[in-house]
Amino acid sequence: MRRKGLVFAVLAGLFAAALLPAAGAYAQAAPKRIEVAAKRYTFEPGEITLKKGEPVVLVIKSTDVAHGIRFRELNVEVNVHAGATGEVQFTPQKTGDFVGHCSVFCGMGHGSMTLKLHVVE
Amino acid sequence: MRRAWMGAAALALAVLAGCKVAEPGGFERGVVTTAKHRIFVGNKDQKNPLPSTPQTLADGKEAFSHYCVACHGLDGQNTGVPFAGHISPPIPSLASADVQQYTDGQLKWILDNGISPSGMPASKGILSDDELWSIVEYIRHLPQAGSLGEPEMYTH
Repeated sequence: MRRKGLVFAVLAGLFAAALLPAAGAYAQAAPKRIEVAAKRYTFEPGEITLKKGEPVVLVIKSTDVAHGIRFRELNVEVNVHAGATGEVQFTPQKTGDFVGHCSVFCGMGHGSMTLKLHVVE
Repeated sequence: MRRAWMGAAALALAVLAGCKVAEPGGFERGVVTTAKHRIFVGNKDQKNPLPSTPQTLADGKEAFSHYCVACHGLDGQNTGVPFAGHISPPIPSLASADVQQYTDGQLKWILDNGISPSGMPASKGILSDDELWSIVEYIRHLPQAGSLGEPEMYTH
């Protein structure tokens, strides 16, 4: 009986040890969430710094009309309805500065509504 | 020099047309068209930096449908625009030879700066550069006249 208990304890320990690295990896891969408020005709914050290779979730919250954000070079785009929230997950694969533009026409200053991403090593 | 030319052209137009809205005559149309193509509208040599892809065309159609339809219709050929032929100068079909003869760079210049004294507004800052270039792509690949129906604003 004691032997059975010992074997069970060893097996349970091995099972737990096998799971731990996976849990660690999961924790590492959990993407960072960055919230950005969108209103005519600015994003707040207007500049964000990201690390190359690190996944990120960009959360866009509109506080007035419909907006969107699009980084053509990164193939990243999300649109949000008026007063709503939208998000997009991506992993920047190259360093540099990238300018995203509002992707939903929102009025007179639409063309100058930009969000700058700095992607660093 | 350019300003002097514009002043002379405006004066000539005023003498020829006065204030009343009327269809421009053949002479006036010819002079103004030549002046626009050869003198006033710059940026002749700039190429469209966006790739000519279905995505760029779709982007152009999208931007056009938000901003340009009120005067040019969904198809760029004035379909459903009630006043298109009743302002002076009339709103041209963007599929016409007169418009299509502009280079891509000139079309971008017109979108950026507008054309005075026509009703064409300057759009720099209102639309992003990407959107304006994608509209140039759309103007180069306009759908068949009438195929997209009328702008919603004129249908109810």
